[in-house]
Amino acid sequence: MVNQHRDLGSAHSGFSDWYWQRFSAVVLATLLPAAFVLLWAVYSGVLDQQSLLDYLDSFVSRLLHSLLIVALMVHAYMGLKVMIEDYVHAAMRIFLIALMLVMMGLFGMWWLALIWAWGG
Amino acid sequence: MNAMIHIDIYRYNPEKDSQPYMQRFDVPWEKTGMKLLDALNYIKWHSDGSLTYRRSCGEGVCGSDGMNINGVNGLACITSIEGLKQPIKVRPLPSMEVIRDLVVDTTHFFDQYRQIKPWLQSKTPTPEHERLQTPDERAELDGSYECILCGCCTTSCPSWWWNGDRFMGPAVLLQADRWMKDSRDEAMGERLDQLEDAFKLYRCHQILNCMEACPKGLNPTAAIGHIKRTLLNRKS
Ligand code: SF4
Ligand code: SF4
Ligand code: FES
Repeated sequence: MVNQHRDLGSAHSGFSDWYWQRFSAVVLATLLPAAFVLLWAVYSGVLDQQSLLDYLDSFVSRLLHSLLIVALMVHAYMGLKVMIEDYVHAAMRIFLIALMLVMMGLFGMWWLALIWAWGG
Repeated sequence: MNAMIHIDIYRYNPEKDSQPYMQRFDVPWEKTGMKLLDALNYIKWHSDGSLTYRRSCGEGVCGSDGMNINGVNGLACITSIEGLKQPIKVRPLPSMEVIRDLVVDTTHFFDQYRQIKPWLQSKTPTPEHERLQTPDERAELDGSYECILCGCCTTSCPSWWWNGDRFMGPAVLLQADRWMKDSRDEAMGERLDQLEDAFKLYRCHQILNCMEACPKGLNPTAAIGHIKRTLLNRKS
């Protein structure tokens, strides 16, 4: 426990972390159901595979899909960052957050590349 | 009513003991409505004068006898023995350094309190008489002014256990909110600036331990939520 006066002042970062976590949650809550509706449509036979791909190929779908992935990455990053900050201390904290950022960044870019590269 | 009260108390004297230990005491029922503090006083005055704890008012006003009672933080002076499972386990407040027995080091806790400048700050010239407040403005302070800084909430908060060096903790944040809500205070901007920090404020994850622990029935989680909303309104 720290016993001497030790005020580092404000980092002015808490608000944006909190804001983006909630903002991305709202985007996810709107877009994720759409993905599940598509999935349900395929499994229940309302859509066949070709029409599903047609849907996904459209420009608007790709945009929404990209938005979904970005929101997913932002939300997961913010959530895990908070957990790491809670339980991991000192240098390990920064290392883990950086590692996570790189991995999620790569994963997100790979997924975005898939979205925009396939089909015509 | 003649039965004995069995109490296990955390004992630790760093000058003598290599380790803390629990010691059993048996205290006679003295009266109905007897409080835990009465039993501790009985022990101190009749059985073992070396038992060390803080207390002053004896009626839930001074906030000095916060302790961990059967695993829950509370004030010994307003906790009835009747409602407690025996043997009653009495420990010091968690996550603070023990000075002796039930007395913990609150230096850091009160330093954090001092950091939020818990006094009225004004910029406008001092009025000839007092700074007035309407009854409605005064009512805004209900639910925060009652806080007696006993530390029961803060020491029950997991976020404060893990990051108490930087996280202000529920008691101090409730107090910060109290000054922001005060219609006479003119330092809202500085107060918000100071708290806009991932550790000082946003470590709170609404676990609500603090609200359950507060012996005055206050809700620090709501106060923290109010600070977050105020910051949101300032930015959007
Ligand atoms: S609600 Fe916030 S301040 Fe209260 S115990 Fe939980 S994390 Fe701590
Ligand atoms: S909010 Fe309640 S538990 Fe916390 S310090 Fe104040 S009176 Fe004690
Ligand atoms: S002795 Fe004052 S609050 Fe308990």
